Amino acid sequence: MSASARPDAPAKLSGSVVYGTDLDVPGMFWGALVPAPVARGRLRRIDLGPARALPGVVAISAADVAALVDGRAGDAERPPFPPEQITYLHQPIAAVAAPSPGLARAAARAVRVEVDGLPAVTDLEELFPEWPERAIDDPDHLAAHVRAGRGDVEAVFRTAESVVRETYRTASVHQVALEPHACVADVTDGLWHVRTSTQSPFGAREDASSILGIPESSLVVEGAWVGGGFGGKGAAFLEPYALLLARAAGRPVRLALGYEDEFRLGRTTLPAVLRMETAVTDGEIVGRRVRLLLDVGTSLPGRDFATGYAIGFLLGPYRTPTFEVEGYAVRTNKPPFGPHRAPFAPQAAFVVESHLEEVARRIGADPVAFKARHLWKEGDRTPLGQPVLPFGLPSALEGARATAERWRREAPSGHGVGVAVGFWSTSTGAGGEARVELTPAELRIIQGEREIGSGSVVVGIARVAARRTGLPFERIRVEYRDSARAPFDSGVFGSRTVGALGRATDEAITALLRSLGERLGAPGPAELGIVDGQIYAIHGRTRRSIAELWTPAEEAQGAMAAEGKHYGKGGAIDESLVRDGQFYAFTDFTGAAHVAEVEVDRETGSVRLVRYAAFHDAGVVIDPASARAQVEGGIAMGIGTALTEEAIWADDGRLTNAGLVDYRIPTLPEIPPIEVHFVEGFAGAGPFGAKGLGEPPIIPVPAAVASAVRDAVGAHVTELPLTPERVARELKLL
Amino acid sequence: MPAFDLVAPGTSDEAIAELRASDPGEVAVVAGGTDLLFDLDDGRITPRKVVSLRRLPWRTLDWNGPTLTVGSTLPLRELENDPELRRRIPGLYAAVRAVGSVALRHQATLGGNLGRSAPASDLVPMLLALDAEVDLVGPKGERRLSVDRFVIGSRRTALAAGELIRSVRIPEARPSAYLLQRVRPFHDISHMAVAVAFSPTDARWRVAVAGFPPRPLRFPEAEEALGGSTPGAADIARAAEALATRAPIVADKRASEEYRRQLVRPLLARAIAATRIGDR
Repeated sequence: MSASARPDAPAKLSGSVVYGTDLDVPGMFWGALVPAPVARGRLRRIDLGPARALPGVVAISAADVAALVDGRAGDAERPPFPPEQITYLHQPIAAVAAPSPGLARAAARAVRVEVDGLPAVTDLEELFPEWPERAIDDPDHLAAHVRAGRGDVEAVFRTAESVVRETYRTASVHQVALEPHACVADVTDGLWHVRTSTQSPFGAREDASSILGIPESSLVVEGAWVGGGFGGKGAAFLEPYALLLARAAGRPVRLALGYEDEFRLGRTTLPAVLRMETAVTDGEIVGRRVRLLLDVGTSLPGRDFATGYAIGFLLGPYRTPTFEVEGYAVRTNKPPFGPHRAPFAPQAAFVVESHLEEVARRIGADPVAFKARHLWKEGDRTPLGQPVLPFGLPSALEGARATAERWRREAPSGHGVGVAVGFWSTSTGAGGEARVELTPAELRIIQGEREIGSGSVVVGIARVAARRTGLPFERIRVEYRDSARAPFDSGVFGSRTVGALGRATDEAITALLRSLGERLGAPGPAELGIVDGQIYAIHGRTRRSIAELWTPAEEAQGAMAAEGKHYGKGGAIDESLVRDGQFYAFTDFTGAAHVAEVEVDRETGSVRLVRYAAFHDAGVVIDPASARAQVEGGIAMGIGTALTEEAIWADDGRLTNAGLVDYRIPTLPEIPPIEVHFVEGFAGAGPFGAKGLGEPPIIPVPAAVASAVRDAVGAHVTELPLTPERVARELKLL
Repeated sequence: MPAFDLVAPGTSDEAIAELRASDPGEVAVVAGGTDLLFDLDDGRITPRKVVSLRRLPWRTLDWNGPTLTVGSTLPLRELENDPELRRRIPGLYAAVRAVGSVALRHQATLGGNLGRSAPASDLVPMLLALDAEVDLVGPKGERRLSVDRFVIGSRRTALAAGELIRSVRIPEARPSAYLLQRVRPFHDISHMAVAVAFSPTDARWRVAVAGFPPRPLRFPEAEEALGGSTPGAADIARAAEALATRAPIVADKRASEEYRRQLVRPLLARAIAATRIGDR
């Protein structure tokens, strides 16, 4: 792919691109949030007086919200400011805006807050020391309970040849997008407007209007270029505060988080404890029982997707005749759980893969062969009864196995090679719409998403258009519109952009080509081509320029237009297996098998990645260079989850490593050479058979690294991340 | 960050005068600024005046026979790139390379690292093992202190009000090594580090450990256990045992005490093995 194929590259390389944090509007005020001083307690009194006494300062708290939204009622479950109960440290309890950033900070500090503090609840195992032996029935801390199963698990475990039981722990990891959350809001003549760094302008509009109680038609969300999202910018977050401040100030207000607050307030993956049990007879898995205790922090009512979602990954992509899965979402005094690239899937893969490797070793089986034998194949049913669609994971695992065998033969002492798989479902059930406009010179895709970095918007949907029309990529232009003027789209998340927005684009183009075919008098849709620099509609030997084919009305508009939409149909699970809560079906089956080679220092526990290989089923690959980059980036991110990343809360609810010094993301020297392979022939629901590739690359990484560490030195680490100290403990060095 | 006056005097007398003109609590000194700026930005310190050393003629590096003198404002990257350093004092070369990143070392200085005196400094333990000294200038004139006496504790030094670090003097080039342990091997803070150096003058080892509060320190018991130029495996084991069991190692949020005590054994053994003594 030539450099020009990434149309946003010149602006990004030269620094001229305007990210959310770059937004600067004349006359704007600077906003700041007033943090709760305790992690848990009752808010007795907020005195905004000292802040308001500062020159120009506007200050608001819960008491002001109703008047600012003209008496309308927002979602009572999700007030912008807690009316009484504080549930996490630094929770926004008031907000200020001031003519300068320094004054805004001073004003936030000047607000007087009186609270009755209570002991914070931060540790799952301290809260429920008898879990899983005892069921949890604690309405104060239970946010959700999900349970599903098939068959008589007790009986199967009683009669099985061998049973393996293990406990695993996974850590809280943060998205660490380079750009913090940032937005600029303005409210003029009853029109609420916010420009923001978001993965979903329409999602942010829905969220913010629901939180504030204002109609969606009164709120316009305009996306800024996004400096990385990774799930952290999917829902409204700062927007409601900025909008309220702008209303109060009567002028635009910018609100952005500093990086420490990114960590303190971040909605991200929180810690979990898992009990895994597997029963085996004659080398076959005959029963599984999986129990999950998932920290959801200050859970957002009605938005507890976390547990049902997490637990869907915990049986792995393996055939399992008899099983029981049960998960509890537990409220603690931490910020809300939120999506972090493949929410909980990398953690689940680490647990499932490590556990099944342990099962295989205990029965004397080769772990990879054992897994391969149980892997879903097309036509199988998932444990929850959904038929498996075309699924390249068995082929990917075969590729990984061959590479691992070769690397293991070549590996010196102290090195180890590990293999693990992960799976994912593309979220194309979340729909999207697009409009295309064809002029004599170019094809424009009019849509609602901003590029978040992966290239799925600026390259992905443009490649779909180029491939369908036959036009050169350079003739395709992706245009962005705000939420008032763009066709609806669900957002850039869940590996759905190329799949759903790309399909919507494809539908729009197909309608356009059909119309052109008719105008040519041809029996089918036209293709597009370039003749003397102009776009022509072509069918067989018939070719006419666009200027010859468009109607006077279209000519007046300067373009021919067509619209398309795609709302993917998800599969269905067998609901009779669900005993409590909500489980999710797949729309597509994507998967990857990874191979990691590590070197482990037997005296210090340090792990170094030596090389890495990834085999992915991404369906039909739309843009090989972007796809490769996406896999490399996901692996780099996964190395952090595997080895170093861990947000640590103290007992008082304080995040002890809020910042990039002690929350350690990988840096370039930690990223090994990476081989990327795509297994072909397993078409998905996206355009031309594409499947998504946003999440899958991160999913198998912690599992593959852990497997390699075990291969190198025999350390079976059951807790993420595999820091040198944890590995050292497992090596019995301490 | 509250506003402050930034001054950049051109001579040491002017710099000292600037410091004396302010209440000690209201003035800060900046060299590279890679550490100080965090405190300014977070509001942990709120000086009215910041005295920058960038115009002072202290960006120097001089070899005089076996002695190396490094001006306090020399960026670490320039020290690292000195063609003699890697060969003559390999431990200091390794310690300098352990600091931050290349970009940061273009900005950070040796004087700043000493003056800020972080418990996990990668440079202080090596300077201790090299018997380095600091040359200070202040209102009462000049004085020279050993690094051991200069560094008092976490973020605490013997620097008096109005005093500045002019240079650091390393009396002799020594075979030496610096080894560290971190959660992330690069761009991280060392949670255990061992610096060793062998003095050709008295044929004795120097051993310093660092990475835990309150400050990097020499550990003479380990030095004695190592004996002369070619310690045997038993000597190294005895020295490591002394460090692991009796050095005042403590836990903090970056590592437990028991892990640090375990780490010191391989780090010392590897550091000794990595030290190439000419005639050995």
